[in-house]
Amino acid sequence: MDSKIKHIDKSQFERIGLDKSDIKTVSGQNTSYWKDAFRRLSMNKAAIAALVIIIIITLFSIFVPAFSPYTISEQHLGHTYAPLGFRDPTDGHMHLFGTDSLGRDIFTRVWYGGRISLFISFSAVLINFIIGIIYGGISGYAGGVVDNIMMRIIEIINGIPYLIIVILLMMVLPAGTMTMVIAYATVGWTGMARLVRGQIMSLKEQDYVVAAKVMGARPARIITKHLLPNTLSVVIVNITLSIPSAIFTEAFLSYIGLGVPVPLASWGTLANEGSRVFQMYPSQLIIPAICISLTMLSFNLLGDGLRDALDPRLRK
Amino acid sequence: MNKILEVRDLHVTFHTYAGQVKAVRGVSFDLYEGEILAIVGESGSGKSVTAQTIMKLNPMPPTQIERGKILLGDKDIVKASEKEMMAIRGKDISMIFQDPMTSLNPTMTIGRQLTEAIKHHKKLSKDEAQKEAIRLLKLVRIPNPESRIFQYPHEFSGGMRQRVMIAMALSCQPKLLIADEPTTALDVTIQAQIIDILKEIREKTGTSIIIITHDLGVVANMADRVAVMYGGKIVETGSVDDIFYRPAHPYTKALLESLPKTDTDKNTRLVSIEGTPPDLLNPPVGCPFAGRCKYTMKICKTQMPPHFEPSKDHKSACWLLHEDCPYSDFKNPDGGGENDE
Amino acid sequence: MIKYIFKRIFYSFLTLIILVALTFFMMRLLPGDPFIGQKAIPETTLKALNEKYGLDKPMWQQLLIYFGNVFRGDLGISIHYNRPVNDIIRQAFPYSFDLGIRALIFATVMGILLGIIAAVKRGTHWDTLSMFLAIIGVSVPGFIVGSLLQYFFALKLTQWTGIAFFPNTGWNGFAAKILPSFALSLSSLATVSRLMRTSMMDVLSQDYIKTAKSKGLSQKAIVWKHAVRNAIMPVITVLGPISAALLTGAFVVENIFAIPGMGKFFVYSIQTQDHTMISGTTLFYGAFLIIANLLVDLAYGFIDPRVKLSEVKE
Repeated sequence: MDSKIKHIDKSQFERIGLDKSDIKTVSGQNTSYWKDAFRRLSMNKAAIAALVIIIIITLFSIFVPAFSPYTISEQHLGHTYAPLGFRDPTDGHMHLFGTDSLGRDIFTRVWYGGRISLFISFSAVLINFIIGIIYGGISGYAGGVVDNIMMRIIEIINGIPYLIIVILLMMVLPAGTMTMVIAYATVGWTGMARLVRGQIMSLKEQDYVVAAKVMGARPARIITKHLLPNTLSVVIVNITLSIPSAIFTEAFLSYIGLGVPVPLASWGTLANEGSRVFQMYPSQLIIPAICISLTMLSFNLLGDGLRDALDPRLRK
Repeated sequence: MNKILEVRDLHVTFHTYAGQVKAVRGVSFDLYEGEILAIVGESGSGKSVTAQTIMKLNPMPPTQIERGKILLGDKDIVKASEKEMMAIRGKDISMIFQDPMTSLNPTMTIGRQLTEAIKHHKKLSKDEAQKEAIRLLKLVRIPNPESRIFQYPHEFSGGMRQRVMIAMALSCQPKLLIADEPTTALDVTIQAQIIDILKEIREKTGTSIIIITHDLGVVANMADRVAVMYGGKIVETGSVDDIFYRPAHPYTKALLESLPKTDTDKNTRLVSIEGTPPDLLNPPVGCPFAGRCKYTMKICKTQMPPHFEPSKDHKSACWLLHEDCPYSDFKNPDGGGENDE
Repeated sequence: MIKYIFKRIFYSFLTLIILVALTFFMMRLLPGDPFIGQKAIPETTLKALNEKYGLDKPMWQQLLIYFGNVFRGDLGISIHYNRPVNDIIRQAFPYSFDLGIRALIFATVMGILLGIIAAVKRGTHWDTLSMFLAIIGVSVPGFIVGSLLQYFFALKLTQWTGIAFFPNTGWNGFAAKILPSFALSLSSLATVSRLMRTSMMDVLSQDYIKTAKSKGLSQKAIVWKHAVRNAIMPVITVLGPISAALLTGAFVVENIFAIPGMGKFFVYSIQTQDHTMISGTTLFYGAFLIIANLLVDLAYGFIDPRVKLSEVKE
């Protein structure tokens, strides 16, 4: 630009000086971390769709078995392997997903199975979370020799493929829902513990934690007030992503014959039963398979969405 | 002197989902053969973006050159294709970066990283390229280059790595070397060595250098001319003497005042510039410094000042220099009296 | 370096010992006799067995005898098949290994390629498509993939076209190996590609990539010479867990496609409560994976020049 420009009115050159109130408005707006994360999540269509699917599946699993005209073990030997949408001529009710080898209503059984599968997965992940956060918290906070020993223990547990330990445990413990939870929780917590430890290790060197320490805050207070809230986002993501793994483990164990005992049913046992007659009656396997896959997919998508939303490095 | 680079009215925008960040807003400057130009400014002033845009290193999208020209000789870099850029990068223009710890590939030997550009641009054989690499390492005064080329970056210290970066940048005798905060990540003693090497290279090869920095010490030490950037704009340009002794912009003056001086009483507090730089998502219509400037006038908030020329080759974008402005804080060439020593 | 190698070998050995002890105690806890399950067998045989395995001795001696047997390579005699477990493993493992190796190679090579494509073409349809496939891959368990592949490609395709492209079951000939290997590899392939994409995007945003670009290298040269090598490192570290996943995945895939591998024997031994078979195969699997993990760890140390080996995984 050249400096020969038109005459400017004198009043324009009135000095107003430094306006203190201006200083704040000059900077960019600060959005709170969680608000920002929520906004980012809500922009992720796949994650929101996944969340909706998870809610629907959970609600169905809770309510369908309660309101269904059939029970899970009620047999109708008159119409076994009934097709989808079969209407029972005797009582007029519809078998929406057909019936199985003993004429049991698959719709009821699938949602009842969902109850068991989701219960096992949620409880197992909850236990993993609790053990992991305590173990990782202590290990990371204590550091030194304690940390070293605790991490070696994890290393050894991780050295053995977890499914093999779970299978061994499942054989020793009496078959049942809680056995599944315990078996998975025995080995599943190591990932969470490592994660929490890593987070705490890096956070405890941060200035604000050092400051709290210098001011004489007790360790318990430092852990609960300073370290855990900052670990929360990675933990949430980890929880969301361990649920599909728990669902998979349940389905896998049931599939190889280590599932919940009859008359209980889970998605895994339904898939196991379905797979025996799959080539004749594909829907027997496909229905529980869709439930398992859709639930795992939804949790994976939601977990990915959460990770993207909660990662502050992506914040711009 | 020949003009080797001419930047005119350059506008660069980042597209983020929060909106468009107008990082560079109408930057113009020239660079002559063998000259060292320092671009000074704080973080977010647009200095690094400007430098990287000259080589088109920013990923596009999200970066977009909205407007302007970057003429290297008679070639407009803004219009150049990626293929043309590949021929320019490393050969006509090369660059060294801020952090020598992360700028070298950790899993490739220094020798391979050095010969890569030589082989690419000069079409030399492997042996010739290796000889050239050793020669370059000698030039930047790295001891035992013959064995050093087989080592990995983690076996080098920070200062040594930055020398490797410089050697790499010089491998094809570029017309222009851009150094983006080359000393920021280094120890003070190493900083001086790197600056000496850069000056020596200019003497030996006649390469023009653009040095991006926020360190006025570096500027005083090596630059011929200085451009001060603020809020995506160049607010003042001039010779080193102009900038240090006769600053004609309140921002430049404030920057100089914030420097500790050897004769300052130890009880005197350092002066800081209050406030924060403008939000470039919604850049101000007027002068970007208006919100933090103690000389702010009404017009500063509504209209961007043009570049006035208080003396030859010394330009400043401040309304205080307008002939109708009643104040004379900066009109007198020795206006920045406090810094006159 | 030497210290690191020894440390890793030591931990692997320790893990192995713990696994053996664990298996021993688990077997003791099982309902019924540890060596015969709940089957009725003649008194004399039982006595002979008890003597051979020292079951009449105190627990700690039994444990030592068990260790002795295991480390001599004697995994006991399968109750169901009445054959040494070693024999069964020797016969069945080659099938499982063949299947596993095919799946492993396919999963890593394809996963890495898919991950690279997704990262380089970030934000395009390529990226969306490959990541959609990857998330499906991690979300659908192998037994479902296996059953569906078998149903559509072996059964239905043959019915529709009249040509049997893929046999329904078995492990004879190349065509028979395609469906099981693919079914087994899918979830690992998905895991690798997701990891590779993240790792690759991380590497591509590094300063040294900018340096390479500023030298005038083409995008292709940058990706293949500078980015891939560094991005592959994290993938190498998951090869251990991936081998474990393939191994356990093979249990079901072998069942679906009736491949006479170890997985099929293992699942069958669970269903028939064949205790020696279970403990024997468990130990074999455990040892196999512990060694695989060890090799991966050591390989990682050799491949990455940065890491002084003592720092790996710390």
